[in-house]
Amino acid sequence: MFRLNLKIALRNLWKNKGYTFINIAGLSVGMAGCILIYIFISYQLSFDQQYANKDRIYRVVSYWKYSDGEEFQNGVPRPLAYAMRNDFSQLEEVAPLQRGGGVVQVMDEAGRVKMKTDETVFYTDPSFFKIFDVKWLAGTPEQSVTEPNTVAISRKTAIRYFGDWQQAIGKSIVFKQVNQLKVSGVFEDQPETSSNPIQILLAYSGFKHRQLKEWGSVSSGTECYVLLKEGMKPADLAGTMQAFIKKYYSDDSDVKQEHFFQPLSEIHVDERYGNFAGKTTSMREIYGLAAIGLLLLLTACINFINLATAQAIGRSKEVGIRKVIGGNRKELLTQFFTETITLSFFALLLACVITEAVLPALSGLFKDELNFSLVNQPALIVFMFALVLFVGLLAGVYPAVVLSGFNPVLALKNKVNVGNSGGGSLRKVLVVMQFAITVVLIAGTVVIVQQMKYMREKSLGFNSSAIAMAYLPNDSISVTKFDIIKARVAALPGVTSVSLCSVGPSSSDNRTSNFSYNSTKDMDFMVNTKAGDEDYFKTFGLSMLAGRPLAKSDTLKELVINETLMRKLNIVKPEDAVGQYITVLGEKVPIVGVVKDFINKSLKEGVSPIVLYNAKNSMSELAVKMDTRQISTLMPQIEAIWNSYYPNYVYSSSFLDDHIRAYYESEVIMGTLLKIFAGVIIFIAFMGLFGLISFVATQKTKELAIRKVLGATTLELVNMLNSSFIKLILLANLVAWPVTYILVSRWLSGYAYRIDLNLWPFMVAMVISLLITVLTVSLRTYQAAMANPVNALKNE
Amino acid sequence: MITLKQIEKYYTLKGAKSYVLRHIDADIQKGEFVSIMGPSGAGKSTLLNIIGMLDEPTYGSYKFMDQELSSLSERKRIEIYRNHIGFVFQAYHLIDEMTVEENIEVPLHYKNISSSERKSRVADLLDRFQMVAKKDLFPHQLSGGQQQLVGIARALAPQPLLILADEPTGNLQSAQALQIMDLFRQLNKDEGITIVQVTHSEANAAYGNRILNLVDGVVTNNS
Repeated sequence: MFRLNLKIALRNLWKNKGYTFINIAGLSVGMAGCILIYIFISYQLSFDQQYANKDRIYRVVSYWKYSDGEEFQNGVPRPLAYAMRNDFSQLEEVAPLQRGGGVVQVMDEAGRVKMKTDETVFYTDPSFFKIFDVKWLAGTPEQSVTEPNTVAISRKTAIRYFGDWQQAIGKSIVFKQVNQLKVSGVFEDQPETSSNPIQILLAYSGFKHRQLKEWGSVSSGTECYVLLKEGMKPADLAGTMQAFIKKYYSDDSDVKQEHFFQPLSEIHVDERYGNFAGKTTSMREIYGLAAIGLLLLLTACINFINLATAQAIGRSKEVGIRKVIGGNRKELLTQFFTETITLSFFALLLACVITEAVLPALSGLFKDELNFSLVNQPALIVFMFALVLFVGLLAGVYPAVVLSGFNPVLALKNKVNVGNSGGGSLRKVLVVMQFAITVVLIAGTVVIVQQMKYMREKSLGFNSSAIAMAYLPNDSISVTKFDIIKARVAALPGVTSVSLCSVGPSSSDNRTSNFSYNSTKDMDFMVNTKAGDEDYFKTFGLSMLAGRPLAKSDTLKELVINETLMRKLNIVKPEDAVGQYITVLGEKVPIVGVVKDFINKSLKEGVSPIVLYNAKNSMSELAVKMDTRQISTLMPQIEAIWNSYYPNYVYSSSFLDDHIRAYYESEVIMGTLLKIFAGVIIFIAFMGLFGLISFVATQKTKELAIRKVLGATTLELVNMLNSSFIKLILLANLVAWPVTYILVSRWLSGYAYRIDLNLWPFMVAMVISLLITVLTVSLRTYQAAMANPVNALKNE
Repeated sequence: MITLKQIEKYYTLKGAKSYVLRHIDADIQKGEFVSIMGPSGAGKSTLLNIIGMLDEPTYGSYKFMDQELSSLSERKRIEIYRNHIGFVFQAYHLIDEMTVEENIEVPLHYKNISSSERKSRVADLLDRFQMVAKKDLFPHQLSGGQQQLVGIARALAPQPLLILADEPTGNLQSAQALQIMDLFRQLNKDEGITIVQVTHSEANAAYGNRILNLVDGVVTNNS
């Protein structure tokens, strides 16, 4: 029976080629979208899953609760790891993972420097490898990360330094000019899907820091991993943690500090804490994409249902015959499901081709290595077959139930009327649903595009164009060269202004400090501290509300505060702030000016309270504002000057504009994705409408002919058919608007600076949906309306 | 074989009953060849559909092989129907997407007959109706008479006791019509298959051994 059903299914599909094409085209595009989204999501969820102990590995993270907010940090105080090793008996292993960095020099046989690179290194101890089962090609963790004078490197790094990993063992490198390190281990490269991109590994015993024993300072460069004992849950450790926190933190502070055990699987998908790879994809994004995938599939299925029920009239005779010769409902259902599943299967084949073609572009958009390989991803095969079954059954169930339910006597007389019975109204509901989804997506896309444009054009309160930021080493010897470098760069023709600073006005690198004002007790919020010299205000075009910019100085002597801080200190007039004293960074210093607010983070967040001060040892960047036309000739000159003073360091620079743009990378991705998927859904809806209107036109041939005989013009007939569909589309818009409004408002509320929601996106969505409808319907019905009525009526 | 008692069929339209069949009493014995005759709209096809279990009477009792149908479950009724009744239509009603061979085979699928048994029965029927050469053709490639032969072959495939034919020759030219009617007579005589046909034609009715005359839903003559 199955073989016969399949054969009949194929013949039926072939007989209605147009219908088959529309169905397969719509379905395959929808399926391809789903497969792509599946590949992306499974890639994101595969992060850090390659370890044998993955379910018992946790990262210790930090959390602070302030009076006006909270903060999440991947870092922990530096002494925490070893304290935890002593205090927690429930932990099998505890390992610190400390990030560091510096210039690495690789020597050749003769002892000359053959390579000089700026590298990120990690410090840890052998217990790290009892937690994470990393394969070692040569050496052992005990040999390599116990002694301060040894180093272990990844296979890729070994090849980069020495040409061949087998030759790396025993060779030496120089780290930070002075540390001679011997390569004593080579480990296998960590996959792309790792949150700890370790290339160079040093012993934790060699890590030096002046706050090594300090519990009050937390850096995002200090992480701690633990391996829970078999059968333990993080909840079992809560009591020990309470005692631990009590033991190491004073409780007279207003700030409440806590540590949590974060499961390994959440490191990549929890964007509140960062990680060393700097890559996170929030669960919100993953759910969002999954929802889009589901919508895609739903629209495609709706097409299927619509076309199949519309076509049911043509199949009624067959159903009648099958029933008369003994087929019961179950057998007919099986037959129709065979058909829909066959069709879905063909759609899947086409979807695979589309996926293969589109994947590189998607990889590029996400800057991730995604691949479509059925051999390596058996789960993908299961997913695809589940997809075929899901689509086949979902799309097939309604038509199958309707068709198999026909009364055989009426069916044989062609008297079943699908158009006016339940099938017709269901079809209307489905069309409304499909277009409502389309309208939501179009309007949503328009809002995102508007918000992106707003953020691009929003005045940041400072000038960011044509400013290069060059890195400066700030050890005590390097600092002495700051003034001469600044003077030499400033003297270059085309350079407008040069400033030494810690960071630009807007930066993702934000340093905060506690401070006090008019009291010995610290305020209950932190200030953002930025160091800038006397030219900082001129270089970035910051404007003063009162007082003066910072004066030339080598150490912290005075402050400029921003408007937000002034308001938070309850000072009304900027003039009143000048002359007040603030104790910050260990000094009590006067406020000499108030600067107008500028956006210091992304536009998603509000402006932080900021103090600006001038102190040479806080400087780590050289900001160079130049004539736009001369950027390309100036950049090499700046690099040359820099290299002449810091021959042992590696020059790096970036543009402030690029840096600011990077804040909105996820919005750009989201915007692009929405545009693509909105396009795809419009396409699918268009195909569906086209197919549906074809059937309606055929069904109404007789009615059109009679009306024509009675004197209707072609245009009037086209209008008549249009009007019924236009009503549906208007209804779809009405349904979609409130949904869009809720979704879009929620999205916008994530931005401190956002557009006011106006009617435009809704109007655009309505016009586009109407235009598509009128175009499709007119195109198809014109033909039917033009036909000679005699031919249509003769058939009766 | 068939006992109809006080069969009535009516539709209610705006409160008024519109009768299709009234007080039908009839007995059809095994091996009979009965013709139902009457003018258009007399209810002939409705009666045939009720006998064929495609339609249900509004009122009355219908016994098929001594079983009261209204007391049987849907499943049981389909079981009886599949095994004992074959239908032949005026418009042939073959499945357009299937070849001659497949069309004949379909009812056997529904009876869950094994593949080899199906093949041999279909081969027998094709052979008997001299259609072996045409087994891979589709219905639209055949003449009307040939299509009706396939229709009859299909009705015979499950080896029914009763064949119901609704104007089987209505769409055929006279020569072909004769051939079909001869076939019916042969099936009735040689194989003892009970046949009930609806017809307009006196000539066709003459092939049978009994005529049921129907006018406005009432049996006027049962001879």
